[in-house]
Amino acid sequence: MSRFEKLLPPPMRRPAKPGEGDGHVGTNGKTSAANGEVTALKEQDGNGARTDDAGARVVEKAKDAPADLVGWVDERMGGTSFLTAMLLRKVPKGTNWFYTLGSATLFAFVVQALTGVFLAMYYTPSTVEAYASITYLTNDVFMGEFVRGMHKWGASVMVILVFVHMARTFFFGAYKYPRELNWVIGVVLLILTMVMGFTGYLLPFDQRSYWATIVGVNINGTAPILGPYLSDFLRAGPEFGATTLQRFYAIHMLLLPGAIIGLIGAHLYLVVKMGTTAPPWIRADRKPKDARTQEVDAIPVATNGHRDGSATTNGADPSDDERAAR
Amino acid sequence: MNRQEKEQYLREYEVLKKKGKPFFPYAIMKDSVMALIVVVVISVMAIWLGAEQGPKADPTTTTYVPRPEWYLFFLFEVLRVVKPPELVPLATVGVPTICMVLLLLLPFYDRNPERNPLKRPIATTAGILTIVSMAFLTFLGAVAGSPTQIDLEVAPEYEAGKLVAAQSGCLACHQFAENGNNGPGPELTEIGSRLPAAAISRSLIIGPGIMPSYSNLREEEPEKFDDLVLFLASLNGEEEPQEEQETGVGASGELEPDAGSDVEP
Repeated sequence: MSRFEKLLPPPMRRPAKPGEGDGHVGTNGKTSAANGEVTALKEQDGNGARTDDAGARVVEKAKDAPADLVGWVDERMGGTSFLTAMLLRKVPKGTNWFYTLGSATLFAFVVQALTGVFLAMYYTPSTVEAYASITYLTNDVFMGEFVRGMHKWGASVMVILVFVHMARTFFFGAYKYPRELNWVIGVVLLILTMVMGFTGYLLPFDQRSYWATIVGVNINGTAPILGPYLSDFLRAGPEFGATTLQRFYAIHMLLLPGAIIGLIGAHLYLVVKMGTTAPPWIRADRKPKDARTQEVDAIPVATNGHRDGSATTNGADPSDDERAAR
Repeated sequence: MNRQEKEQYLREYEVLKKKGKPFFPYAIMKDSVMALIVVVVISVMAIWLGAEQGPKADPTTTTYVPRPEWYLFFLFEVLRVVKPPELVPLATVGVPTICMVLLLLLPFYDRNPERNPLKRPIATTAGILTIVSMAFLTFLGAVAGSPTQIDLEVAPEYEAGKLVAAQSGCLACHQFAENGNNGPGPELTEIGSRLPAAAISRSLIIGPGIMPSYSNLREEEPEKFDDLVLFLASLNGEEEPQEEQETGVGASGELEPDAGSDVEP
């Protein structure tokens, strides 16, 4: 058990290898039944030694409470093995700060979602009242301007992070086998993020946003065949009218966030399933490059795995991180 | 990648993963630090730059600048590069669509098994060129201001229309001699020699292509609209606007049936 693993509640730790236990048998939460036994045993102890200080027993119980709670939930949901696999899965050697760009983008999206909910509590999506509701939100609501500023600038930060994250993926060749699908999902997320920016730009309903949206919708309208229909759909009719703003609002805060959340879920699922890439300049072995390529060329595929002794299928080993992560 | 390359990659990846560190707490620590930086940066921007409200949207107004959010500048600037009217759909929809499809299908046409950017000269060069050109277009969009002054010399009777044109955002997309942006709309310095007044009026009303319609201006302030049409029709490239240009101007949208029907202003 690594020193950091002690930070996890016991039921989420990996089972100790035989002979490596630290004496606290049962607290590793191998099975929820074991947990129950431990609790029962402790209660017996308490009853047997009645002279014990009651306070000490309460403290003892309180110490175990988080573990018991995790065990209780696990007994009914069975999520800890998944969580353990998530948390203790290994990231490849050489993983560096470039690999935080994706989670930073995710976090920017979370900021947008939270501030967006706050804004939606005060915003009125009607051409008559939208502007006044923003004025009220900005000037009178506690922290209103701050949250609106976070949403406005958070959009820019998120767009920048999306592009930088994509550039990292591109230059590291991380979109190649076996992660092609995740690249496709990522590009769709990029497009949806830009559409988010476009639809959100109208909502403040000031001059800039109004006229930029008119031009933007006209730009869509120049597309062959489908263009005019798309424009009519966005405007909710042939002309910019009262329902246009509501339509943009619904797209901006219901349709697109739903699609983005779903796709982020798929994106993350594939990240965990396929694993993050190692930086392309990191090599598995330290042999000179020439020797390595020669060896690879010379040895048939089927036997190639013995080269390192650990590269391919291993026997069952409960402490194997890769196995645990599946 | 053929099968052997795939297997070699997977094997190498397994080894690298074995040599790696667990996600918790190493990667999660970095992610948390980055998340903190993100929220601090956003908060500082929110406090520093604020969220000021522009003037309320007014469909009848004549003073506006149709500019998108900065991260869409590069798309908007493509419109300035492509000039001929028949190619406008290519710039508005064609180029972005092609770029999106190219981006989406990248893993399927880039079959090179090599991942190191230094050993993929074509892909790396293409990537850097894309970034540079997008940054350049964004920069162009950022510096392309919208002047509100037209320095053309016109006869006194057209001064009123010139003022309307200068204040109506025409310069954001059109060039008048030295003033205004060269695109997405065509140059209007000599528009009067190409189009009759009725066609100009009609174009202003329907708003062809990506141009917004000025029909609201005509309804709310017809005399301003007429001034604008008169001014535009007077621009025939000659030093002294001639009197006869004024005759035959259809005031406030009295249109000849097919005038300007094939015109993209």
